[in-house]
Amino acid sequence: MTAPRPTGLARRRARIGWLYTTPALVVIALVTIFPILYSVVLSFSKVRFTFGGLHVEEWTLGNYTTMLASPAWLEALLFTVGYTLVTVAVEIALGIAVAVLLDRLEAGRGWILALLLIPWSLITVVSAQLWDFLYDATFGAVTWLFGLVMDQPPVILGTPVPAITGMAVADIWKTTPFVAVIILAGLVRIPQERYEAAEVDGAGAWTTFWNVVLPALRPVVSVAVLFRVLQAFGIFDLPFVLTQGGPGTATQSLAVLGYKTLFQNLDIGMGAAIATSTGALVIVGCLLCLRMFRNQVDEGGAA
Amino acid sequence: MPLSRRSLFRTTAGAAVPLAAATGCGRALARGPDLSHVTEVPRGPVTIRWWAGRVAARDGSDLRPVLVSAFRRKYPDVTVRLIAAPPTTDVSRATLTTQVASGSPSPDVYMGDLAWPAQFAHNSLALALDPLLPKGYWQRYPEELVRALTYRGQVYAFPFYLDEAFLYYRKDLLHKHGLRPPGSWEELAATATKVQRAGDADFGFVWQGTVYEGLTANVAELVADAGGSILSPDARKVTFDGPAGERALSYLRDLITRGVTPPSVTTFVEQDSLDAFTSGRSVFLRNWLYAWGVADNPASSQVAGKIGVIRRPGFEDGTGGRSCLGGWCNYLNPHSPNLGAALAFARFLAEEEGQSILARKAAVLPPLLSQLHGKAMARSANPAFALARDVRLVARPTRTPEYPMVSKAVFTPVNEVLSGGMSVRQALTRARGDLQAALRGEAL
Repeated sequence: MTAPRPTGLARRRARIGWLYTTPALVVIALVTIFPILYSVVLSFSKVRFTFGGLHVEEWTLGNYTTMLASPAWLEALLFTVGYTLVTVAVEIALGIAVAVLLDRLEAGRGWILALLLIPWSLITVVSAQLWDFLYDATFGAVTWLFGLVMDQPPVILGTPVPAITGMAVADIWKTTPFVAVIILAGLVRIPQERYEAAEVDGAGAWTTFWNVVLPALRPVVSVAVLFRVLQAFGIFDLPFVLTQGGPGTATQSLAVLGYKTLFQNLDIGMGAAIATSTGALVIVGCLLCLRMFRNQVDEGGAA
Repeated sequence: MPLSRRSLFRTTAGAAVPLAAATGCGRALARGPDLSHVTEVPRGPVTIRWWAGRVAARDGSDLRPVLVSAFRRKYPDVTVRLIAAPPTTDVSRATLTTQVASGSPSPDVYMGDLAWPAQFAHNSLALALDPLLPKGYWQRYPEELVRALTYRGQVYAFPFYLDEAFLYYRKDLLHKHGLRPPGSWEELAATATKVQRAGDADFGFVWQGTVYEGLTANVAELVADAGGSILSPDARKVTFDGPAGERALSYLRDLITRGVTPPSVTTFVEQDSLDAFTSGRSVFLRNWLYAWGVADNPASSQVAGKIGVIRRPGFEDGTGGRSCLGGWCNYLNPHSPNLGAALAFARFLAEEEGQSILARKAAVLPPLLSQLHGKAMARSANPAFALARDVRLVARPTRTPEYPMVSKAVFTPVNEVLSGGMSVRQALTRARGDLQAALRGEAL
């Protein structure tokens, strides 16, 4: 059977619908699609500013070949991917723990939640500046604490591993509440009967958590992971304030590298190539997350 | 009159040629700014916009309004509207380049770093000045400075003010131990160690070692002290990896391993090193001219009245100390519709009238030789001003449009040497590779 032919009325409605959405679509095309396409196009060019505007000197794959061959890009990629994996994993684990705790709370959940959300509500540049004071090598509180137990406290932001760890701590501090809130929303939707059924079957607390709570949480966890991966992969403000990508290039993320290439070196083509490839990587990462999410929803449905 | 009609007619005919030559190729590129309207300062009211950061006076006030009103006394028809530049050099550059590259007529005149001419010239963000000026115009400024402002035979910026690096020391502590201000870097390390051993200071010598432009400045002058350079004078060949580079880096690394310099120097910018000095924790400090005003002021420093300043010493068997050339210039926006007034204003700031105001009042140095070597300098309360006339300057290797990458190729491996993550040899090899890639335009 073929689909029923649209009636005249339906067609007219569709036409009016398109008419009304056109302005919005035009705006989206202008502010979202055009810049993306423009930057993809630029990434295949060698351009220079001239008196008359941007001048394309040649169309080339050179930006990509140079980028792929560059140790700086590879280091930035490794840092960004590693940093994303570690911080997101820790944030999810901590977020689940906090959410479970909040779920059990009878009284005061509201204001504890509000308190927890303070780090999340701070602008990252501001909170990064606060962490910068804490980590300061001369009068930082954290350095002082290390000094109590160590002869020679590490120069936190001047040594690769402590710098990366310090940055991850600042990130986890800020975003764990966000993850906790999302997961809490999933937790409260688990019907009480499931807990009761588990109890009747003689499951202990751990068994209940692993076999009842966690599977039910998979969809919200996937959403949280998706959000966090998107954000963590584009990390810019923390390294920009805390280390400027240092020591050496230990904390130079892809976004910082792209910024420096574009705005310090004025290398438009190369900057666009970095931005485009980072965007492509994020899209692939998110598609993988979504695939996982879908599979798990199916599993959850079948279970 | 700063500009005669005759010189301008000559100018107009010749101006498009060097601009096209500078940009190198293409029909579209030949379209330079229309210089036919760079006449005398226009009659009738005109407004120009000046993008500038704070110009500190010795009393801590801001000199920009003073300079503008002095200019307006001479040219009452020209209104100068001040646009406050962001305090961070890189942010200022990012904003300016986006604005000027997109053809914005504002700002007409902008204050920019001494390190920018090659990059800005290459990208048509600054106007070549020689066609607008009489022959021999640049002889009134230090040679090293004019060379730094030149790209492919053209000067792209008017000198505005200079900064130089000096060595600050604790007079009281040296006196207590019967020591003299050091005559060499080796002596400095020994002197600092003596004072530290006696428990009079935590640190011996602080400077700037984090991953940024300031570390490149520290390295450039120390390499020059050792008789070497980072790039050849034409900025085409890498020279950093010679014995001078090795000596400079080994010295810096040894300062840290011997405990003269704290390991935290790898996170220091100017302010951190200055804090360590003004809080009384360090015997020596390498910093710019302005540091005296902060360190000798009881309101901001615990060591006010107890400090001295000398020119940077050199290595023991070397040719004496050099000081890194820093400072700010005024550039003309090629898209300015008021080039005549803009030119007059930039010249006013760079010539006798503007410079004499700086010499009398500013916390920075006037680059104009007649003022730099004048009486106002010698009489200043800041003893570094009197030292300035004999300072031997060294420019950073800024004469390539790829300078940001050149600088990064220097400060990144050096910072790793300082933190102990790389040997001096490894760092020099790495720097050589990165510098060559930068000069080829292939660095990232």
